[in-house]
This record gives sequence, structure tokens and C-alpha cells, in this order.
Amino acid sequence: MGEVILEMKKIDKSFPGVHALNNVDFEVKRGEVHALMGENGAGKSTLMKVLTGIYTKDSGTIIYEGKEVEFNSTREAQDAGIVIVHQELNMVGHLTVAQNIFIGREFKKGIRIDDKKMNEEAKKLFDRLNIDIDPTMTMSDLTVGKQQMCEIAKAISHDAKVIVFDEPSAALTEAEIEDLFKIIKDLREQQMGIVYISHRMDEIKVITDRVTVMRDGCYVGTLITEESTKDDIVNMMVGRVIYEEPKTKSQVAADAPVVLKVEHLNAGRMVQDISFELHKGEILGFSGLMGAGRTETARAIFGADPKESGDIYVNGQLVTINSPEDAVRAGIGYLSEDRKRFGIVVQKTVAENTTMADLPNYMKGLFIDRKKERDVARKFVDSLATKTPSVDQMVINLSGGNQQKVVIAKWLCKNCDILIFDEPTRGIDVGAKNEIYKLMNKLASEGKSIIMISSEMTEILRMSDRIVVMCEGRKTGELTIEETTQEKIMNLATRDIN
Amino acid sequence: MNLKKIKEIPIVKKLGFNRIVLTGVLVLMYVVLSLIVDKFAGMPRIMSALNYAYFLGFLSLGVTFVIATGGIDFSIGPVMFCCALISGYCLTSHGVPMLLSLIISVIVGFIFGMFNGYLVAYWRVPPFIVSMASMNIAKGVASVFTKTQSVSWPQAAKGGWFRSLVKVGKFPVGIVIFFAIAIVCSIVLNHTKAGRYILSLGSNREAVRLSGVDIKKWEMLAYVICGILVGIAAIYFVGAYTTVQPGYGDQYNNEAIAGCVMGGTSMAGGLASIGGTVIGVLIIALLQEGILALGFTKDYQLIITGLIVIVAVYADVMARRRNN
Repeated sequence: MGEVILEMKKIDKSFPGVHALNNVDFEVKRGEVHALMGENGAGKSTLMKVLTGIYTKDSGTIIYEGKEVEFNSTREAQDAGIVIVHQELNMVGHLTVAQNIFIGREFKKGIRIDDKKMNEEAKKLFDRLNIDIDPTMTMSDLTVGKQQMCEIAKAISHDAKVIVFDEPSAALTEAEIEDLFKIIKDLREQQMGIVYISHRMDEIKVITDRVTVMRDGCYVGTLITEESTKDDIVNMMVGRVIYEEPKTKSQVAADAPVVLKVEHLNAGRMVQDISFELHKGEILGFSGLMGAGRTETARAIFGADPKESGDIYVNGQLVTINSPEDAVRAGIGYLSEDRKRFGIVVQKTVAENTTMADLPNYMKGLFIDRKKERDVARKFVDSLATKTPSVDQMVINLSGGNQQKVVIAKWLCKNCDILIFDEPTRGIDVGAKNEIYKLMNKLASEGKSIIMISSEMTEILRMSDRIVVMCEGRKTGELTIEETTQEKIMNLATRDIN
Repeated sequence: MNLKKIKEIPIVKKLGFNRIVLTGVLVLMYVVLSLIVDKFAGMPRIMSALNYAYFLGFLSLGVTFVIATGGIDFSIGPVMFCCALISGYCLTSHGVPMLLSLIISVIVGFIFGMFNGYLVAYWRVPPFIVSMASMNIAKGVASVFTKTQSVSWPQAAKGGWFRSLVKVGKFPVGIVIFFAIAIVCSIVLNHTKAGRYILSLGSNREAVRLSGVDIKKWEMLAYVICGILVGIAAIYFVGAYTTVQPGYGDQYNNEAIAGCVMGGTSMAGGLASIGGTVIGVLIIALLQEGILALGFTKDYQLIITGLIVIVAVYADVMARRRNN
């Protein structure tokens, strides 16, 4: 580790009703990987947005390479050498890799764009990172992992000295994460300052030198990673130890009836001949790697995307599901992995989102019964411990975990018997995660049947009564929790089907 | 006290900061015009401005519903003319009774609303294209129907009882009806299932669909409501000006949309304010009266409302950028 390259001192930032950052200190040294951790809504993203000029700070100073700086746009921060690799990738799908990397500053030959030179330069960047990607490939043909590496290459091409990684591993497979770590280690060797935001405790231990923890917009402390344990960090984040043991035995009665039966479901390349049964009170885990077709299967069952063939039986009755409307009528609720796009209406209040799927039951004649609506919303805010100033708060002002709770409230309000949780804890901090797990167990014990799609092995092992494993659009296996091991799941998830 | 704090005062929050500012602008405009234009103050000018405000107001209320879904309707002006021409032609050339003619006007608007709404919601044709096309269809249909003749509705003395919907003696009946319908619109938008779904799908279509809501139906309904209000606008247009010519009406699109976005309805959808639209329309109506009173031609009105749309939309874009 070298000298301090970036120092943020007493950063303060408020939004209406929220003190998002309260006198936060943070520093990065040359040649270090510095983890920034905290529960959702702790202020990590806000801090990084202040750093990269997306937000303006209310007070405090940022010292970069010995000088006080203030960036008014990401462009200014970028030009100074501070770049951010976002969780969501910002790539133009139909352009080539090289065109994406040099977008906005293309090499020119006269007035023509010099693609040859761009390809060469991109190749040089990839060589520097030891990545094997062909710069002439079309971006949308690459896997998510490769696309992310292009993002990193793009960041480096700006002559970056500080790189912020915002949950870079969230969408990657195990192998891709290893590649990512290799790259990050290389960058560290090259004396860059790296900020690493992640919720995955194991990664923090592997890749980072120091950890700074934030809680509720405040700086809690900084630890040397090597000298601290997982529990040290978690305790700083939430002030309690939360890890639980995996499930060892199915909680479902042996004679529990089948509530959902899917037979020979086909919907494009990602859903091929999927059949399975879901029992009453069961949590059925759907495991597999990214791109295994689990979300696509769920969306096809739910009627969100068209299906080619296949039968769906609910409580033994054959049902026709051609739209989400049909699915909801059949008692199926779907919690998308992408809350912002598919789960919530951000410009509406907590109460309005809660009744979104069940509005007909909150009418008084022609009019919406606002009192009844607020009452039920309040009930779910209490029972799910949603953090919001009131049920009249716009959902846009809530943190990710709390937005997820609003989506859960929506389906509980509709009283669906079959719930599909697609990555229920993605981007949610450990504390809130635990609450959501408890909630799912409670729902199952009350007789709701749950399909849980998850890419986290611990989550699958901890929650599922039975596990369906998918790989490349096919179901490759089904395991009871008693017989399941991580190795068995991994084997099925990576099975070579060709 | 800074701006942020003012916005947090309960009464300001309830009425809406934007609406209070707009009301201020409206009053200020009136005062300034009264000071600089001889004899501007007084009922005649107000009545004249109101005549303009009625039909424009109904157009603007209608398009508010469409814009709330994230759509747009550029056909409202020509459709209004089409309604007025077809119903007027029925009245004057086919001897259809007055009441029925008025109903026909609303029905024509309703049909255009259905047409636009169906194409947008069920066929997913972009609203911009659909409304551009139906603008021309409306003009064409009206011309064909009336054989390219202008239509004059009867004066009050000659059986034109419908004009008492606008005013009786010196009393502006129209304003009462306009406010009443605006209140109904506000209730529909804020307190019914239709309004809730229209605003929600304007904000996040996919999330509403995945909640099991038949979004196509509700999106189409927004256009249908718009169409009905356009049919009513037509009655008020002829109620005020009696004569309609085929082939016109485009200019009112811009003015109606200006009133709507100025009032705080977001072009991106999801946010709409009926109260804002009403004040926005009154400003535009007063503006046009002022421009004429100052001795400028109607052309200046076009320039100014064009600029208003741009400024209002820009302000909305900036506000959303800040929120993100």
C-alpha cells in the first residue's frame, strides 16, 4: 500500500427527509483494495455518487492527489481519473467491444472513424488486463461476465487512478468472479486505488486490504481485513451475529397436496421441457448459474412472457395462463429479481404500491377507500418492519431492501397462495435478508407455497425443502434437502448437456 | 426562508407549490395587462378569454389523461373540429335535433378516442404516430362529410339554445360546467381505480402489468376519456364561435398540451395534476386575449405557446433529473 490518493472528509449530504450522509470520512491508498460495506441504505452508493460528481455534497472536502477537488459530473471525475464500474452495465448492445470502449472519444482518420486503430487499442487494454476478448465482437454476444470486463477495460482506458466497483460480482458466475479478482489484483499491483462495494462477505475476505463500514449514513470504522473476522465486520454493520445453519430436513408434510404442477413447459431457448411439482407449504429452491433459464421459467409460468407449449395445473385443475392477470387470478404472485423495473411504481406511495395487485378489494363503490388502503399498508409496514416515515411516502425514497418489502406486501395483500420469489435478497443487506428469510419460512408454515429462485448457494441450502437445478434452459436434476450437498448442486448446474 | 422550506409548509404542500406560482402568474398577467392596455379590465375581456378557455380547457383536461399514461395525443385539435363539423352538419343539413347533434359530437370524439387508444394499447403503435395519423384522418373525414363546407351553428335567437351552456345573459355558465367537469376529472384521476392504474402504468408499465392488471384496457381508457372530453370541447368551441371550417385545428394541440405540462403534468407519464391543468389553461387563454388586445396577430400566440411547451417540458426534465 502506498500513500493516500483519495481522501473524503466530513462529507455531509441530505435529501428531503433523509440525512443520507452524516460527517462521513473515507480514504483510499494507492495499491489497495478498500471495501466499502454497510446495510442497504447505509449510504455507500450516495458516498460514491458524491465522489463521482453525480450528487453535490452539502459540506465536507474531497482531497485527490493532494488537491481539494469538486466534480460536477461523472465526466469531470472521469477526466481526473476517478471512474466507477456500475452493477448495471452501460453498454450499447449492437456496437462492437472496441466501439463501446471508445464511445464518445473515437479515433478518427479524417472524418471517418478509425475502427482498426480502436480495435488495436482495445486489444492493448485487454492484454494489459490479461483478458481474452476479441474487440471486434458485438457486445450483446458476450456473457455478462465478459461485458463487465469490457467495462473495466473502458474504465482503465480513461487513465484511471481510482476505480470504484459497485457490487461487481452480483451477476457473475463463480469462474467469472475468479477472473475478476485476478484483474483487480493486477490493478492493485499497478498502484491503483480500488473501492470495492459488495455484500458478499467471503469476497471481502479474499480480495480486500481494508474494510470501511457505514451504517445509517454514518462512518462506523475501518478495519484491516487480514486482522478481522467475518463476524467483526458483520457486527459493525448490524451489531448482531446473524448467520444461521442450513436446513437439514424438509418442513413439508409427507402427504401435502400438490398445489402447482408444471408439465413440459417450453418457451424459447431458455425454457426447454420443464416439469416439476410444488407442494403446499413447501419452499422449492431453483438453483443454477446465471443464464440457466430460471427467471425465464418463472416468467413463462406467470404469463409475463409467452410460452410455446406446456400445461400448468393449480390445485389439480388445468389453468390457462396467457398473462400475469390470469396468473394472479389463479393465485400466483411473482416477485421479480429487478424490483425497480418490474416490482414497484416509484412515483406512487407505499400504500398505493401495496394494493396494486388487489385494488378491486379496496374500493368503496366507484372510489378507492384510502383509509382501508392505508390501514392495510400500515399493517404490512409493521409486520414486515419496513423502514418508511409513513405509508404516504413515495417508494422512490426507500432503500432497496425496503422497496423489496413493499413488493412482498403487494403479494401478501393479494393473498396469493403460490409465490415465486426471484432472487429475493439480491442487493439486500444481511440484516434485512434475515428478516426476509424468516418471513418466507413463516409464509410456508402458514400454508403458502413458495418457489425461490436464488443464485446464492447458502440461501438455497438454508431455505429450500426441495431443490430443482437448471442449466442452460433445461432441468438437470431435483434433490431433496436431505440428500443435497453443494457439490451435487454444482454438478447439476454445470452439467454438460451437449 | 429558502425555497425548499417554503415548499415544506403544509398549506403550500397541499395546494402544490407549482400551482401557487402559476396562480400568481395568472393574477400578475391580468394586473399587468389591465395597467398597460386601455379598458382591458372588466367583464367583456374576461368573457372573451373564458370563451377561449372553455374549449381549450376540455382539450387540455383530456390530453392530461393521455399524457399521464406516458402517451401523447396530437389529434385533439383536428378531432375537435371533426366533432363540431360532423355534428353541425347533421344539425344544419340533415335536420337532426339539437340535443342529438350535441350527443353526436361527443360520440365522434369517443370513437376517435377508441381508435387511438386501441392502436396504442393493443397494437403498441407509438402514440406519436397514431395521433399524427388520426389527426389527418379527422381532417379528411370532416372534409368528406361536410363536402369541404364550413358549418355555422345557429345563433341563440334562432334555436341555438345550446349556447346557454356557455353563458346566459351575462352569466358565464361555461365556467361552472368547466369547473364541475374538472372536479370530476380530478376525482377520476385521484380516487378511482382507472386513475390509479393510468398514473401507475405511466410511471412503470411493466410493474403494473406484472401485478396482474389489464394495462391495455386502462391505457385505452385514457384515450377514450380524452376523446369524450374532446367531443365536449367541440360543443364549447361552436358555442363560443359558431362557425367551424374543415382542415384546421392543429394549433390547439400545442396550446392544450402547453396548458397541461405547465400545470405540472409530466410528459414522461405517471404524474398529473388536474388543478394545474385548469390554471395552465386559464393562463394560455388570458395570454391569447392579451396578445390580441395588445394589437399583435394570432401568430404571436403560436410562437409563445410553442416556447411555453419547450420551457415547461424542459423544467419537468430538469426536475426529474434532480430527483434521480
